This record gives sequence, C-alpha cells and structure tokens, in this order.
Amino acid sequence: MADLLTPQLNAETPAPDWLQARRLAGRAAWESSELPTRKTEAWKYTSLFALQQPFMAARESAESAEELGLELPQLAGSRLVFVNGFWREDLSEIEPDAAIELVRFSEADQSQAALIAQHLGSVVPGNKHPFSALNDAVLADGVFLRILKGSKAARPVQLVWHNSPQVDAAINSQRLLVLAEQHSEATVVEHFSGQGHSFTNGLTELILAAGATLSHSRLHLESAEALHVGGLHAALERDATLNSFHVAFGGKLKRIDIVINHLGQGAHCQLDGMYLLRGQEHVDYHTCIEHAVPHCTTDETFRGIVGDKASAVFNGRIHIHPDAQKTRAELSNKNLLTSATAEVNTKPELEIYADDVQCAHGATVAQLDESMLHYLRTRGIPADEALVLLSYGFINALVEKQRLESLRDYLKPRLADYFGAALAVDSDDAGG
Amino acid sequence: MLSIKDLHAEVEGKNILKGLNLEIREGEVHAIMGPNGSGKSTLGHVLSGRPGYEITQGSVEFLGKDLLELDTEERAHLGLFLAFQYPVEIPGVSNMEFLKASVDAVRESQGASAYDTVGFMRRAREACTAVDLDQAFLKRGVNEGFSGGEKKRNELMQMMLLEPRLCILDETDSGLDIDALQVVASGVNAMRSESRSFLLVTHYQRLLDYIEPDFVHVLADGRIIRSGDKSLALELEAKGYSWLDDGEVA
Amino acid sequence: MSQEQIDRAIAKDYAAGFTTDIESDTLPPGLTEDTIRFISAKKNEPEWLLEWRLGAFQVWREMVGPDWAHVDYPEVDFQSISYYSQPKSMEDRPKSLDEVDPELLATYEKLGIPLHEQEALAGVAVDVVFDSVSVATTFREKLAEAGVLFCSISEAVQQYPDLVRKHLGSVVPRKDNFYAALNSAVFSDGSFVYIPKGVRCPMELSTYFRINEANTGQFERTLIIADEGSHVSYLEGCTAPMRDENQLHAAVVELVALDDAEIKYSTVQNWYPGDAEGKGGIYNFVTKRGLAHTNAKISWTQVETGSAVTWKYPSCILRGDNSVGEFYSVALTNNLQQADTGTKMIHLGKNTRSTIISKGISAGKSSNAYRGLVRVGPTAKGARNYTQCDSLLIGDQCAAHTFPYIESKNPTGIIEHEATTSKVSDDQLYLCQQRGLDPEKAVSMIVNGFCKEVFKELPMEFAVEAGKLLEVSLEGSVG
Ligand SMILES: Nc1ncnc2c1ncn2[C@@H]1O[C@H](COP(=O)(O)OP(=O)(O)OP(=O)(O)O)[C@@H](O)[C@H]1O
Ligand SMILES: [Mg+2]
Repeated sequence: MADLLTPQLNAETPAPDWLQARRLAGRAAWESSELPTRKTEAWKYTSLFALQQPFMAARESAESAEELGLELPQLAGSRLVFVNGFWREDLSEIEPDAAIELVRFSEADQSQAALIAQHLGSVVPGNKHPFSALNDAVLADGVFLRILKGSKAARPVQLVWHNSPQVDAAINSQRLLVLAEQHSEATVVEHFSGQGHSFTNGLTELILAAGATLSHSRLHLESAEALHVGGLHAALERDATLNSFHVAFGGKLKRIDIVINHLGQGAHCQLDGMYLLRGQEHVDYHTCIEHAVPHCTTDETFRGIVGDKASAVFNGRIHIHPDAQKTRAELSNKNLLTSATAEVNTKPELEIYADDVQCAHGATVAQLDESMLHYLRTRGIPADEALVLLSYGFINALVEKQRLESLRDYLKPRLADYFGAALAVDSDDAGG
Repeated sequence: MLSIKDLHAEVEGKNILKGLNLEIREGEVHAIMGPNGSGKSTLGHVLSGRPGYEITQGSVEFLGKDLLELDTEERAHLGLFLAFQYPVEIPGVSNMEFLKASVDAVRESQGASAYDTVGFMRRAREACTAVDLDQAFLKRGVNEGFSGGEKKRNELMQMMLLEPRLCILDETDSGLDIDALQVVASGVNAMRSESRSFLLVTHYQRLLDYIEPDFVHVLADGRIIRSGDKSLALELEAKGYSWLDDGEVA
Repeated sequence: MSQEQIDRAIAKDYAAGFTTDIESDTLPPGLTEDTIRFISAKKNEPEWLLEWRLGAFQVWREMVGPDWAHVDYPEVDFQSISYYSQPKSMEDRPKSLDEVDPELLATYEKLGIPLHEQEALAGVAVDVVFDSVSVATTFREKLAEAGVLFCSISEAVQQYPDLVRKHLGSVVPRKDNFYAALNSAVFSDGSFVYIPKGVRCPMELSTYFRINEANTGQFERTLIIADEGSHVSYLEGCTAPMRDENQLHAAVVELVALDDAEIKYSTVQNWYPGDAEGKGGIYNFVTKRGLAHTNAKISWTQVETGSAVTWKYPSCILRGDNSVGEFYSVALTNNLQQADTGTKMIHLGKNTRSTIISKGISAGKSSNAYRGLVRVGPTAKGARNYTQCDSLLIGDQCAAHTFPYIESKNPTGIIEHEATTSKVSDDQLYLCQQRGLDPEKAVSMIVNGFCKEVFKELPMEFAVEAGKLLEVSLEGSVG
C-alpha cells in the first residue's frame, strides 16, 4: 500500500533509535499489507473506499479552544490536549501526582524511554492490523502513562485528541501507552473530538501488571464527517481488572478494534460500549477477548441505536484457548433500528477449546420494549416522548454502570441532548 | 364517573372478560375480589388501554368521555391511574427523570403550569417520605432492582404525585409486610376525597380493614357475580369463593 | 422398532459399516466434459439437461472451494473420484421390487430399511439411492392415488420433464457455490416429489442414501415441490461402508413450497465418520435450501452424527408474506470429526417468522461449529426471528464454536439470538451414577435431554433412531 503513504509522512522529525526502528518496521509492514476489502471477513460490512487516497501529514494549529470548537470535559485531574496530533501546552493541565508518570514520548527520560521501547507494540498483534502498522510508521509523538507499583492515582488522567477541520487526506496518528504496574490503580479517559473532515488513526495500548486496576474510557465525540480507524489492545496479568468503556457518536467511517488479552489467571474485564448513529454515519466495533489462561472473567455489553441511513457493525468474538478452564465470559449486544434505511450487522462469536467454561452471548435487533412503553403512557407521557425517554434509558443504562461520576455527569446531558429528551431534573440533586 | 357496560374483552384470542358491568361514582371506594385468573388485572389493563387487549363488546364511559376511544396517555391525562400488579423495570431512566416527565405531561394536558425543578423535587421527596421510601430510590432506574414491596410503594408515590381522579390499585397490598400495608392504606386514605374514586383489586380482607370500601364485588370468570358492602369481604374470607359457586355462577 | 434393530443401533461400532458384494458398473475416476456426457447419456437425458449440466461444469471450473468454514481437510482431488457407479443388475431397471437384486435388498434389511412394502415402516414410502442410482421406490401406487409423485429424479426427468425443468436450480442456482455447481454438473440420482394442490401427502416419504463403491462420490439431487395448500413430511437417512479413504458426498436439495404449502424435511445423517484416528469417512458438503411462498412453511430438522467433515446449511428463503422457516438441529461430533453447520433464514416477505434451535455436542477431539445467517431485508416488515444455539462439550480436547451473522435492514423486525455453552457437569454425572447408571449411559441420557427440543420435531420412528445414534456416536467419549 505504498501509494497511500506520501513522502511527507516519512517521519522526518529526529527520533531516538528505538522510535526510528519502530517507524521503519511499521512502514515495512504497512507497505507489504493489502488494504482490506469487503472480501476480508473482518471487513465484510465496512468499506474502506473513503480511505482510497494518499494521506498527508496533518498541520499544526494554534487556534484557541473556542475557535477549535473544543469543549474540554471537566473531569478533574491532569489533562493533555493534542490538536491535529500536536501537543498544546496552553490547553493542557498537568497536576502533579506521585502515583503516576505522565510524559510525551518526545520528552521521556532515559528510564522512561526504555520502558516505552520495551512495551510499545508488545500487545498489538504483529501485522494483523494494517492500521496499527501505519500508526507505527508515522509515529511522531505519543503519550506514556505509568502508574507506579502499589499506588493509586488520585484523579483521572484525560487525553484530549482534537482535530481541526482539514482536507480529508490529512492523517492524525495518535498513540497512548499505559503501563499499570503491580497493584496500581488509575482512571484514564480518552476523548476524541473535532470539527469537519479529519482522519484519525488512534491506537491505545494498556498493560496491566498483576493486581492492577484500570478504568479506561474511549469517547468518540467526533463530527459526522470524521474518519477514524483505531484500536485498543490490552494485556491483563494475574488478577488485573480492566473496565473499558467506549462511546461512539457520529463519524462517516469509524472502525475500532478492541482486543483484550487475559494472560494471567484471575483477570477480569468489564467491557461496555455504545454507538449512536444518524445521517450516513457508519461505525464498526470489532471486539475480541482472548482467554488464554484459566479462571478469568469477561462481561461485555454493547448497545446501539441506528437511524436515518446509518449503519452499524458489531463483531464480538470470545476466544477460549485450550486449558482456559473455569472461564466465565458473557457478551450482549442489543440494537435498536429506528429507520427503514438504517442497517445493523452484528455477529457475536464464540470459539471454545475448553470444556469447563461458562460462556454465553446474546444479540438482538429489535424495538423498544412494549410493556415499558405502555407503562410510561399510563403515566401520561405521550408515545413519542416515551420513545425518546426509553431510547435514552436504553443507552444511559450503560453510562450508569460507569464508576467515574464526573464522566457520567459529562455524558448524560449530552445523551439527553442527542435524543432531545426533556430531562429537566439533574438527578444529582434528587437525593439531597 | 366510571360506567362499564357489558364489557367483553379478549387477549390472544382468549375470552377473558365476558359481560362485565360496573358503576363507580365520585368519591366512592370499590373493592374487587376474585379467584386467580378471573380477569381482575385484565380489567385494569383494558381500562388503561394496554396493547393486545381487544374489546369485542360493550362500552366504558369515564368522566363523560368514551374511554375506549382514547390513547393510553389521554386516559392518564383525564385522571385515570393504574397501579400495576407487576410494575415493569426501566433501567437507564431514573425514577426522578420519569416522574418529572410524567407529572409535566399530565399537568400540561390539564392546562396547569409545570412545576419548577426545585418545587417538583420537594414534592417528590415528600411523596417518598409519605410512602416510606428512601430518597435514594429517586436516583435509581425506574423499578430497577426494586423489591416487590418497593415497587408497590413506588406505584403509590406516582399516584400521589399525579393526583388522579380514579385510582385503580391492582393488588397493591400483595407481598407487603404489615407496616407497608399501613403505609399504603394511609396513603390511600389521605387521598380520599369527594371527587376522587378508588378501585381496589385485592385478595385480602385485611386491606379493607384499613381502607373501608363502599362496595365489594366478586369477579369470577370475567363477570361480576356478586356485589355487596364490606361484609361481603368478610364472608368471602370465611367461606372462600366456592361458597358462591353453587348458586351464583351459571 | 424391532429388538434386532435396537440391538443393531446400540452395537458398539459404526453399524452401517459393512460393504455389499455387488457387481457394479463404475465409471473410472476423473471429471471432464465427457464424464458429464456419459452420465447424461446413460440416463437418456434430454438435450436441455445436458446443456444445463455442461453450463454448471463451466462455472465450477472457474470457482474455488470454500475456505471460510471452520474445518480443515486435505484438498479434495476431484480427478480421483468416480462420478458414476451403478449396480450391474440395474442395467435393466427393475420393474418391481421382486426384480431387485436380492443382495441389494439384503443390504437394506441390514440397514434396517426393509423395502418390501408389507414389512416397511408403517406408512412410510421409501426411495432408496444406492451409490449413484435409485434402486427402489415403495408405495408408489398408493401415493399415485392421491396424485403424489414420488420417484427418482432420473425418472422424473423422463416422465415429468416440465416440472423438473421449471424448478431444477430455481432455489439453488448452479453457480450458488462450488459444491452446488459440481453437483449440478454431475448429479446422478436422487428423489423427486410433487404434491398437488391441496393434497396432504397420505404418508411420510423417505429416502435412504447409501454409498457402497470405493472411490465414488455421491452427488444426489433432491427436488420437492409442494403445490398450493399441500403438505408433506419427508425423511432422509444416509449411511456408507467403512473405508480408509475419504469419500465425497455433495448433494443438493431444493424445496419449493408454494402458497399455503408446508414441507417438513427431516434428516438423520449417519455417513461413516472415519475411525478414532480420523482415517477415512465421508466429506459431507451439502447445499439444502427451501423457497417459501406466501403463508408457506418450511421446516428443517437434522440429526447429524456422521461424516468426517460436514459443511451444511439447510436454509429458507422466506419470500412470501407470512411465510415461516424453521431449523432444528442436533450435530454431534466425536473423535476427529469436524462439523460446520447451521442455517440461513432470509426474510423478504412481510411478517415472516423463523425459529432456529441448534444443539451442538462435541466430544473427543472433534470440532463443532454453528454458523448461521439471519437476514431481514428492507421489505420484510414485521419479520421475527428467534435463535437459540447451545453447545455441550464432553471432554477438554474438543472445540465448540458459534458464528451467527445477523443482518437487519428493517426497523419493524425483531431478531433475537442467544447462545450458551455448557459441559456435562460432574454433579449431573454423579446423580445419575448414584441412581445406578454407568457413566456412558448417564452421558447419553444427559445428551438426549439436551437435544429434546429437536428430537420432538422428528417423526416418531426417527426420534428413537436418533437417540440411539447419539449413544453409538458417543461411544468412548467418557473416560
Ligand atoms: N397475554 C395473555 N395471553 C394469554 N392469556 C392471558 C394473557 N394475559 C392474561 N391471560 C389470561 O387471562 C386470564 C385472566 O388474567 P388476569 O391477569 O386478569 O387474572 P387476575 O384475576 O388478575 O388473577 P390474579 O389474581 O392471579 O392476579 C388468566 O387465565 C390469564 O392466564
Ligand atoms: Mg391480577
């Protein structure tokens, strides 16, 4: 696919050896791979036609948050803001926290650089995903978050990846590497936003050492024209716990691959996700949970509402390796189709090579529950309003599961807005 | 206020109500008793307009309107309230959000101004207190994970906030401990007024010890086979429904 | 079921594994246009059918075998297979059962399928396909009285060419897939059924397929047409001798259910699965599909215990409004067997309904995959699907997979899919043993319970047989 990489994308910026080596390897892998077509099983329902053009490097922007239409979520804690892939010191806020080290690759000290070099790419499956290779190939900078052994980050860490409007072909490559050391604990929120056309290739790697607990959210609040091909790859060692939460609004084409590897016994993953699509938007979530060892658990729930001419793809694979006995894994994917021109393609998959396991999955494409609708109407709520409220509830149920209160508070009004639900009550005051 | 004439209704092709007549005037409290499966809940659902219930014959007039012509929410706007025997759970929509939407809609239809948020929350909290429900329930999803008794109290709380004209309580007393029963009773009694009527579906005479009915009806096989005053309930309690079988049920 | 039949069913090995010593006319291995011309000429076929076959062959040569299924087997050498084999005695087709070679009749007696009408399963008409040709069809007169046509497809080509020409390939087009194209080119025989308007077929119809010759492939073709308002229940059984080589079976079954018609198609597939080391066995690559018109219903029930490799997706195209599709399946794999089976429900008409109940049982080192597609098209207003897929694993060396594809383009449809995986629990085993059952008996009992929902869809005789088959197939799976 050499023709899709213009010379401009050659990482001209000086880089340490380990980074340069990674770029070269990524470039080689990208060039030798084929752009997947719809004949490729994993891309059956997603056409990459929109990407059939040479990519250029994104340009730096000095616009203010206001000019950028950047609404910074106030989740408290450190916040690193990148615009078009370039760090914006003026918009960022770093709170000192003895439990963590938070640096950009470009400013990593020697020992940090050694850790980055050791872990970067260690959980991304080789050449399996061409876009991971592309991310490597053009890797300029990235963020490294290390949560120190036995420590607990006091406040959430926020990464804001924002795009200003650009020609379609400008590519933003973003990279986050989180190393949660033994028995550490932290919360990380990635926030993708932007205006107009943009193409983002965001790759996240999470490494959870034994006993580590990490809450990670990836919020896609990009514009309806945005293109995003991204991935989340996680490795969980013994007794590690990952709460991974995904939100996708909009996007002309969004393809997110989520791969969670249970590598140590007793690891647990709660994976929740939602997609809300309108217009001509297209979102494709491919999730894969690898149960490589015994006694691990997975709870996965994805929900979506798809209207207008939008289309959603969900593929949820659970792979139980031989000997991964006593696994418990559950997956649920529920979809609401709200228009005659919208489309949902879902495929929950189980691949099981061990017998003493409890695995189940369920998928539905249906309407809102009639008895709920009736209940609301008996309370005087008109049918159309009741539908709005139930749609909101259908999605909000996943938000309510998230532990970070400021995140819930950030998302709920946005959801209500999206559905046009007249939720005058800020339920936070309700208990008071 | 409510006048049901020769009502026949079926569910999934099965005849459930087979010629039911009932007259409720303003301010009256009626109790309906009857064996399991006799059609008591069906009556409530038919009155509230639940989809899937087909009326094959008869008429229902409510406050001078042809009730059967109205949508479910229009019936609620008129002041018809059904406390469900099995309230449905709605995860993701908080009780508070739900209550506000409901009260706003009903008030708007009646031409009353919407409560402001603060005022509404005060009322909601008061209602919580009245039914002895912790305020934390306002933040939880509607009925989500509520115990049987908590669901019943939640129904009652909605009734208090909506101030309906006709309250149908479908076994709101079932599954309640004795304290909760009193909560329900005092809630209902506090709401009793000249212009508000009640239709209580119950299996137990004990509820009627607390809420004194003007009339007691026995519903069997889709029809009211006996009506009387509160002494009928006592008699039923003592003798069971089979006592009626011999003569009354054709 | 006679005691003898039962004894045979629970015999410890593949009971149908004997060979029959019969002189046959077998075409030497190889596949060219001449092979096809030979088959067509042998059957005295009309020109259009030869052309149709040759067209299919053209298409097939351009195609590659499917590689997406979760099965793994050495590439099939299509030139090493013989595409036609016929018992010598069939040269002059028997006019009646009395003329059928006694050896052949004895074969079917051994298989538990008596062909003499007086002894035949009460009320079941049987067509028997031995290697490439149909050898006998029973109860023909009785069926003819009701206007039901039941004969081999070769006969149908001669006697009812218009019906065959109209419907052949109408549900499974020649270029549908690699094996369907191959079958269209070389199909030898199979059954043909036509039920006239408004007729309820007076008895169950049944076909038994048997591969006897070594190195032959069996490419049968079945066509069932249920005219408006008619009803038919059809059973299919299959066996093959034990041979060390793999044998290919690539059948095509087409069902046409016209308005208000109902077709119930049941299969008990017990092709030779190969031995415990995975040597030999049948490659069962089958295309089965039904087309349901308005208010019609097509129901597939299958019990798959045999074959080394199974690749099979009996499907329904629910074209007519209110049409109904059903798929009930038990697939059991043991030793080194591999199965990739499931169904497709294509909802096109309004208010179409489909139900899928799939029970996969994996034992030994086998691999068992459910693969299904539920598609609700933009025109399928109010369509509804319910799918339940359960897997049972016996032992820690086997594999169970579920690959359901759900595609919806209609906001008024409801599609629900659920899948679970379980094992025969130690507690269950313990309870059974405590009640005096040996472990093997206990497992087979539990497995039978697991499959109950599907067995109850089978006609009576088959349900008993299916239960026994599972027991035999599970042989040696519990330590
Ligand atoms: N959706 C339905 N489909 C079929 N039958 C139904 C349906 N709903 C109710 N029924 C039947 O209608 C009859 C009356 O039911 P209903 O719920 O009105 O009884 P009930 O008098 O309220 O009984 P209980 O005292 O147990 O609450 C029962 O036989 C019930 O099984
Ligand atoms: Mg009831």
